[in-house]
Amino acid sequence: MNQPLAEALTHLRMGNQTFLINFYQDQRDHFARWARRQHQLEPAAAHELLRGVLVDFYDQVIDGRLTKLPADVRNYLYGMAQEHIQAEKTTAELPRVEAGRRQQLLRVFGQLGTDCQQVLMYFYFRGYNFEKVAGKMGFANATVARIQKTSCLRKLLELRIRATGEGAAGGQASAATI
Amino acid sequence: MMSPAELRPFLDELERFADGQMTSAEQADFEERMQREPALREAHEAYEQLAADLRWVAGHESLRHRLLALDRRLDQRHTALVRIKRRQRRAQTRWGTIFTVAVLLLLGLWFLLRPAGPRGGRAWENYYVADPGLPQSATLDEHRPLLAQAMEQYREGHYPAALHALRRVPTDNLGPDTLLYYNGIFLLSQGDGSAARPYLRRVIQQPGSALASKARYHLAVAYWAAKQWPEARAAFREVASDSSNEYRQAAQRVLQADVLRDED
Repeated sequence: MNQPLAEALTHLRMGNQTFLINFYQDQRDHFARWARRQHQLEPAAAHELLRGVLVDFYDQVIDGRLTKLPADVRNYLYGMAQEHIQAEKTTAELPRVEAGRRQQLLRVFGQLGTDCQQVLMYFYFRGYNFEKVAGKMGFANATVARIQKTSCLRKLLELRIRATGEGAAGGQASAATI
Repeated sequence: MMSPAELRPFLDELERFADGQMTSAEQADFEERMQREPALREAHEAYEQLAADLRWVAGHESLRHRLLALDRRLDQRHTALVRIKRRQRRAQTRWGTIFTVAVLLLLGLWFLLRPAGPRGGRAWENYYVADPGLPQSATLDEHRPLLAQAMEQYREGHYPAALHALRRVPTDNLGPDTLLYYNGIFLLSQGDGSAARPYLRRVIQQPGSALASKARYHLAVAYWAAKQWPEARAAFREVASDSSNEYRQAAQRVLQADVLRDED
């Protein structure tokens, strides 16, 4: 965690996740000991919990729910872990419709193949152009990368239409709109 | 807001527009159509929201995957470290065992090959008052260099060499009792009580020999060294009771210690 804390939030918002990756690398063992002592969690479960907490923290930053980095990040993250364990969320949450829509997209994203997920992550999160996506994925050229990305986006949309249809059938029409 | 199914017919066009795949004329035309066609405008808004949500999902999943990959790497490193430590511990245990066995073997060897102590039949050496040998003044005579050499070797503890030199001393140069006496002394000093006995006994039998009383003590010790306990006890008692014998106290000490018996 050499990165100054003040800059960490800015970097996270710009999609630089190094701060959280370094935090996990440095604190994983400490967190596992804490979780074992406080909650009798096995190391593997504690690691999974910390990963979930860090992703949650990242979501908070990206969604704009967290606008100021806590003075003691470790304390804050351990507090989030405690809430996870006790299932008592006190941190700010997204409006229900928005949260539902994103969670649904997250679920259908997970149904895509690994290559499709990777292409969409490179394009929409990393902001790579088609040429770079082609280089990273081993495609022949940028056109192939564009066709792949288009195809993957369509697959995602079809999966979402299917999920929306199921949701509507189950009486959850509120999350059906995009 | 437009549903995903309703977005489908607009997707090609919206994607080309968003990804910068349109020519300038196509782009201007598309923007103009968006002003005129509410359905296209709504589809564009829906597409922008989908792209924003997808960016969020991609970031979320990217972090999740990176953390998962890091977790696997850390687990592998931890496993490797545990394996290395276990191997080191095994090696340390192996070398420790080898070292311990080697030390035990060496101790066993030392125990088997160590020189026999006083209780191994040489207890007499603890009590023995050795003869000082002839003084240098008595031997530094040009006629008796071999005797001087024998005495020197004796005092230095080289008993076989002393014996060898003594036996080369001409008999006409030295009294027979002296020669017999030191033969016995040298033999006794090298631990051969049985061989020493006849010499010392003959000194005692020499009429009027000044060395007879001393020879009695050394004969007693020779019996002891040869483990002839009754003879040793009788000889020591004789010396201990002779007030004129210079070894009287040494003999008394042996008798008081009550060591004239087979200790094995």
